[in-house]
Amino acid sequence: MTEKVRSKIDIRVPESAPAGDAWAQFRGVERIAMELTQSYKYSLGKYSRFFMELENGRFLATRCHGCGKVYAPPRPLCPNCLAVTDWVELSGEGVVKTYSVLRFSPGSNDDVRALETPYVLAYVLLDGADTLFPHLLKAAPDQAHSGLRVRVAYSDEPVHHPIHLMYFVPVADSERQQP
Amino acid sequence: MSKVPVIAAVGVTPIASEHRGSNLRDLMAEAVLDCLADAGMDDLSAVEQGLTSYESDHFNLQMTLGAILHDTIGMIPKPNLRVEGGGATGALALRAAWAHIQSGLCDSILVYGCEKNGRGVSSRTANQLFALSADVDWEMMVGGNYTGFYAAMIRAHMEAYGTREEQFAHVAARNRRNAGFNPIAQKPMDISIDDVMNSRPVAEPYKLFDCSLLSDGAACVLLSTEEWAREHCPAFDKRAPVYFTATGCGSDTMRLGDRYPELTNFRAKRTAAAQAYAMANISDPMREIDVAELYDSYSGVEIQAVEDLGFVERGQGGPSVADGIFDLDGALPVNTSGGLLGRGAPVGATGILQAIEVVQQLWGAVDPRRQVAKARRALTDTHAGIASISVVNIFERRD
Ligand SMILES: [Zn+2]
Repeated sequence: MTEKVRSKIDIRVPESAPAGDAWAQFRGVERIAMELTQSYKYSLGKYSRFFMELENGRFLATRCHGCGKVYAPPRPLCPNCLAVTDWVELSGEGVVKTYSVLRFSPGSNDDVRALETPYVLAYVLLDGADTLFPHLLKAAPDQAHSGLRVRVAYSDEPVHHPIHLMYFVPVADSERQQP
Repeated sequence: MSKVPVIAAVGVTPIASEHRGSNLRDLMAEAVLDCLADAGMDDLSAVEQGLTSYESDHFNLQMTLGAILHDTIGMIPKPNLRVEGGGATGALALRAAWAHIQSGLCDSILVYGCEKNGRGVSSRTANQLFALSADVDWEMMVGGNYTGFYAAMIRAHMEAYGTREEQFAHVAARNRRNAGFNPIAQKPMDISIDDVMNSRPVAEPYKLFDCSLLSDGAACVLLSTEEWAREHCPAFDKRAPVYFTATGCGSDTMRLGDRYPELTNFRAKRTAAAQAYAMANISDPMREIDVAELYDSYSGVEIQAVEDLGFVERGQGGPSVADGIFDLDGALPVNTSGGLLGRGAPVGATGILQAIEVVQQLWGAVDPRRQVAKARRALTDTHAGIASISVVNIFERRD
């Protein structure tokens, strides 16, 4: 017999309802498959220059001329002063303040779906910034620790979302600049 | 006449990983019928307004669910408002209802919430949908998710204060054990600290049993003036009057990294608690609160919460939890319902379920195995995200 409902998953009708069940006539249940797929022309807005400069291997933050705070990730508007900020370039070196090791992925986009689990999500205080930048730390999970010196690395491969033009890597001892 | 709202009646459905036989409208109807039975009322004709509490248009594949539910439960043509605030939705809805009563906008309002976060979607889809409630541009797109954000916070707490995994495993085991005394709980379990420690890592240091549940369920609270309850709700005079005496709300940045240098604790909870305590004239919450439901989305969050709510000093959350002072036989029992870890967390209903648990505790109406003796004053703590919005509500028995 052909199925009359293409989206039908299953039908379950219990043989008997509990005694005194007020819903006795409503116990048969049909389930169907539903789907919602959307695509967007998604503007990165006033944050765009951050992503455009990643293509040039440059890491930008914003600085408020009012309170002096340096935002990475950038904020076009300082929430402390409600002043429009200025773009500033940072070296891209910094230090891990906390992190987590993720055993599953939210599959947010093609770049994230391509990640092998486990991966490390690090919160990095970039030199010259006042906030922590969350991003992937490409290192073995047991190599991650708070206090680890890291730097921004830039992807040579094409990416799906421009935030994946960058990621963090540990600073090798040989790369350490003398203070 | 006092405008401090009373809890006239409450209603719930069982909380489950899947209510296959009921869609959201059905679930809400079941909770409302339960509330009518609790109130001893035949219908909702005397109730003036309705307030809908649900979080996700995506999980539910339905927008303007407020209008649909309002219609389903026979509240047409009365006013309807939908409240949304992530995980804090239910507690925010109650707070909004509190203001409706206090302002004199109405004398009675039904706060009703539900969600189907259970098996209607795959866990992969559920992760994606929940990740949409993070900062999509800067956190979700780099592979961040809530388990990861919470894990980074508890790691910072461990490094700053020496908090240990065994201490939050105590929360995971205790709340699931408490759920065993709650007939509506989704997943009661009798597990040991070792069982939690040995469960599979999800985002270290959090393991499977440190994580709360995805749930289907509905709950509602009928809030009114005392005068209205005496006139319209036959059950009201048959039990001790419980008042919704105070409410506080705080907020914090969406992203954890913007809170630097504070990574260990929840500023929004401290803000919310300070407001609620001032309103309720509470100066020593550990002594003046008898029972509390805390937002244990992850086991370690309860340790952070008991510090931010001022129950113990900063850094003492871990040792105090492990000492058992928040257990059923401790000085201040918390999550007697089983919490999000054991009872479950259908988001739009969660904050309402927390309120119902403490109200029933104050009524002296829960299973004796989880009943806190002589409870007079209770607290609920509910938050969105990693406490980007936080709500503290206080309930008091006055007889
Ligand atoms: Zn500023």
